[in-house]
Amino acid sequence: MPKTYSIIVIVSLFILWEILFHALNLRWYLLPPPSMILESIQSNFISLMGSLAVTIKVTLTALIASVIISVCLAIIFYFSRIVERSMMPITVILQVTPIIAIAPLISIWVDSSQMATLICAFLVAFFPLLTNTIAGLKSTDRNHLDLMKLYRANKYQLLRFVVLPNALPYFLSGLKISTGLALIGAIVGEFVIGPISGHSGLAYRIIESGYQLEIPKMFASVFLISITGILLYNAVRLLSFMILRNWHSSFSEAE
Amino acid sequence: MSLRVLSDTDRQSKLVDGQSNVLAQLKGVSKKFAGASHNALEDIKLEVFQKDFLSIVGPSGCGKTSLLKMMCGLIKPSSGTIDWPTSNFQNSPENPANLSYVFQEPNLLPWMNVYENIKLPLKIVKEDIYSADEKIYEIINLVGLQGFEGYYPRQLSGGMSMRVSIARALVTQPRVLLMDEPFSALDETRRFELSQEILKIKKEKNLTVIYVTHSIYESVYLSDRIYVMQPNPGKVFEEFDFAGIEKNEDYRFTSEFFEQAKVVSDSLKRAQHA
Repeated sequence: MPKTYSIIVIVSLFILWEILFHALNLRWYLLPPPSMILESIQSNFISLMGSLAVTIKVTLTALIASVIISVCLAIIFYFSRIVERSMMPITVILQVTPIIAIAPLISIWVDSSQMATLICAFLVAFFPLLTNTIAGLKSTDRNHLDLMKLYRANKYQLLRFVVLPNALPYFLSGLKISTGLALIGAIVGEFVIGPISGHSGLAYRIIESGYQLEIPKMFASVFLISITGILLYNAVRLLSFMILRNWHSSFSEAE
Repeated sequence: MSLRVLSDTDRQSKLVDGQSNVLAQLKGVSKKFAGASHNALEDIKLEVFQKDFLSIVGPSGCGKTSLLKMMCGLIKPSSGTIDWPTSNFQNSPENPANLSYVFQEPNLLPWMNVYENIKLPLKIVKEDIYSADEKIYEIINLVGLQGFEGYYPRQLSGGMSMRVSIARALVTQPRVLLMDEPFSALDETRRFELSQEILKIKKEKNLTVIYVTHSIYESVYLSDRIYVMQPNPGKVFEEFDFAGIEKNEDYRFTSEFFEQAKVVSDSLKRAQHA
């Protein structure tokens, strides 16, 4: 039910926007009405969808890379305190330095603009995954560890049966944050680095329509980015639900 | 025959009698935890005989759990020796499952269902996977978990979870079952029901049970022998022997039972102020 309510609210807001636009006689080049934005999506369909595909590709690739690298690093950190102590500050530095500040450097170092954007998205998405996964690994119940010790489980069995499943809820909540961040990184990266060669992403469509004063197209691009963000977020939520529903307390019987 | 406190001569003669029968022997075992100023356990002398039901009772904080964990190698003693002379299995990595441990809480893995939880030890010790199913279902029937195989731990009541925990401990067909206040979180009825079942399983499987508890009644009802421990530092205060007493369901309502409970209770009182 709550889902239906939120859809009703959003749809009503769009309708109100449309009505106010006509009632107050607003300028379309300042605030185009929803109908005009939809029209713009329709007329620029091929170019916008191409850009959307590019942006999604960068986002997902960065996300997958950060999942793989953060999980591997988290496992290494879990088993070696020394490595964790010495490497963690580096990851913190990468996290606290604004991506906008590093992006120009990356674009100098890396030739391909797609690769540079991908690195930006990766850097932003990586950290929450790493810290959440580490927290998850470390929160393993002492008694569960004792149980493994009792049967003399090896490290692989320890990871597979106890430590990794225990970290799953933490990892998934990190993934929820990182999915949004990867999209932000992909957009911000392209803004700073410039159009992705071949076919530019949605960020460059925004800059381009700004230059050409095609405000409805600008809104259309923003609209598509939001929709993408919402869909990605919900995909991760669905994924967590499917993985955790049987055993985790955050999913009650009712859900 | 009723219970009696064992003197040192008694113990000596008993040890000579049952030399081949000694399953585990602890000599001068002490434990000092890192950062602690005093020993948690001091100079523990203790024998476990084959097919014993041995209870260790004592006030909380006397190191009962630590003692049990040392016996199965979960923590190392600071000094002293723990031998398993006839079997020597404690140090044999190829079959660690000879010894099973039931934790204070069910300690089930929430991401596995009942069946998978019970199967876990077999997977770890890499037992023949083809005979695994047979073993698992035999145990499931033994502890009365039929129909619950697909349930996840959070769907189970406290008593049911404990059954799964016991089943998991039994699935490797251990010779010794170490239990750390396994029923302390359960209500009286469940507790009795499950301890009754432990007795049944012990008989059926020829198990040796080492049982840590703070309940005098439980220890008197279940045990062949009782070690009473004193706190600060944890030491063995007195040892009781029940051998030869016939115990059935009604035993716990006989005056004999209450007399013995009183003897143990008095001992515990004296231990607390020793």
